[in-house]
Amino acid sequence: MTLQWAPSPPDHVPADLIVDFDFFQTPEGLTDPVQIWHDLVRRGVPPIFYTPRNGGHWVFLKYSDIVEGYRNHEIFSTYQTPIPPIEPFPVMQPQGVDPPDHNIFRKLLAPMFTPLAVRRMTDGLQHRAETMIASFADKGGCDFIADYASRFPTGTFLDLFGLPEERLPEFLALSETFFRSTDPAVRAQNLTDIYAVLEVLFRDKERNPGSDIASTIVTARDENGNQHPWQDILNCGFLLFVAGLDTVTNTMAYVWRYLASAPEARAQFRERLDDPVAFQLAIEELMRINAVSNIFRRVTQDCEYKGIQFRRNDRVILSNTLANRDASVFQNPQAIDLDRQVNNHVTFGVGPHRCMGSHLAKREIMISLQEWLRQIPDFELAEDQDKGSIFGGSVMGFTSLKLRW
Amino acid sequence: MRIVANLQVCQGHARCEDLCPEVFSTDAVEGKVVIEQSEFAPELEDKVRMAVRNCPEGALRIAKGTKA
Repeated sequence: MTLQWAPSPPDHVPADLIVDFDFFQTPEGLTDPVQIWHDLVRRGVPPIFYTPRNGGHWVFLKYSDIVEGYRNHEIFSTYQTPIPPIEPFPVMQPQGVDPPDHNIFRKLLAPMFTPLAVRRMTDGLQHRAETMIASFADKGGCDFIADYASRFPTGTFLDLFGLPEERLPEFLALSETFFRSTDPAVRAQNLTDIYAVLEVLFRDKERNPGSDIASTIVTARDENGNQHPWQDILNCGFLLFVAGLDTVTNTMAYVWRYLASAPEARAQFRERLDDPVAFQLAIEELMRINAVSNIFRRVTQDCEYKGIQFRRNDRVILSNTLANRDASVFQNPQAIDLDRQVNNHVTFGVGPHRCMGSHLAKREIMISLQEWLRQIPDFELAEDQDKGSIFGGSVMGFTSLKLRW
Repeated sequence: MRIVANLQVCQGHARCEDLCPEVFSTDAVEGKVVIEQSEFAPELEDKVRMAVRNCPEGALRIAKGTKA
């Protein structure tokens, strides 16, 4: 079958710009998946290079080019971007739509994710964090991923969607398969399952609307007073499912993994427990250094950028961890400085598709860490970590992280 | 001195609000920057400058003088 959005074979790519790089592969013995990206910089590969792996794609290494990839949507589109190419792929609303059309769903969702809206969620998040941490605080250890980092954002998602807590295991299973399975048949069935759940959910909210996000989406009206197209409603639900779970889980995993082996940093955070502004500033540095997402774009037309020929449908990866540790933008970029003064990281992207859930994500992490440090002030990495518990890909992270205290 | 915000460029990161809530807030509809008073007290100058420098979109600047 010929793919409609297939990238061109690389006859337009000069040999000196080709590097063999597979962003899903993490070498044996590696303990931190972001290092496969920083190795590229250490090896001195070209700042814009092409790899034939995973259907073929470009990689931008520099902050300035990554920011251009985010901002210049006329050349670098978010529509039909999967790497490797998958067709058909759901057009996630509004993430998978270019300006100005993305504004329809962006404007619909925005009021629910503003800093003001997120501040109103504080009590609920606080209660969830307190309860979950209390359930294992006296046990002397946990698997941070299974016991907290995957459960907390999934529970938050259920809350936002007006779904009962009893459905947590079902949603954990759906997201586990979605994010970790590499079997095409399992993935296809999983996508069908997720959409079936969304279909029932939105139909139910259509009949019995509440004050949750799903009800807001399904009862919203377009400029002509009509409901938005049903497929767009489902795709918007799908985006919220995809965007807010794995990213938060793995950012938390990175943060806790770092703090487990950094007693001075734990002390600095504990000292800031009663100073939310200072706590927030330090969290921002952890956001910079622990950027787990590699974002895809698709070139819209044959063109030249920085003297390099790009073809229509070429894929590009914007790796946030690379931008965030670019030495031409950040002083001492590999060091974690909880008092860093200027910190224009791109962990949540920039430009028209800037992560709308960033304020919620940061609040989830901040409240979790505050509550954790109150109940478990000191903790460390357990000695018996599972082998091969890291993964690369569009979101990088850990399948297991054992802590003890 | 006064603060000028370009709302076409602002994407609602709210870093300014985090860093200097005395001067910057965000709206309830799109989460974009709101500047209650574009002229700020001199003792806030350092904080305002830090907020401006931390805008990931470069949407904020400090202009000399007062509004004509």
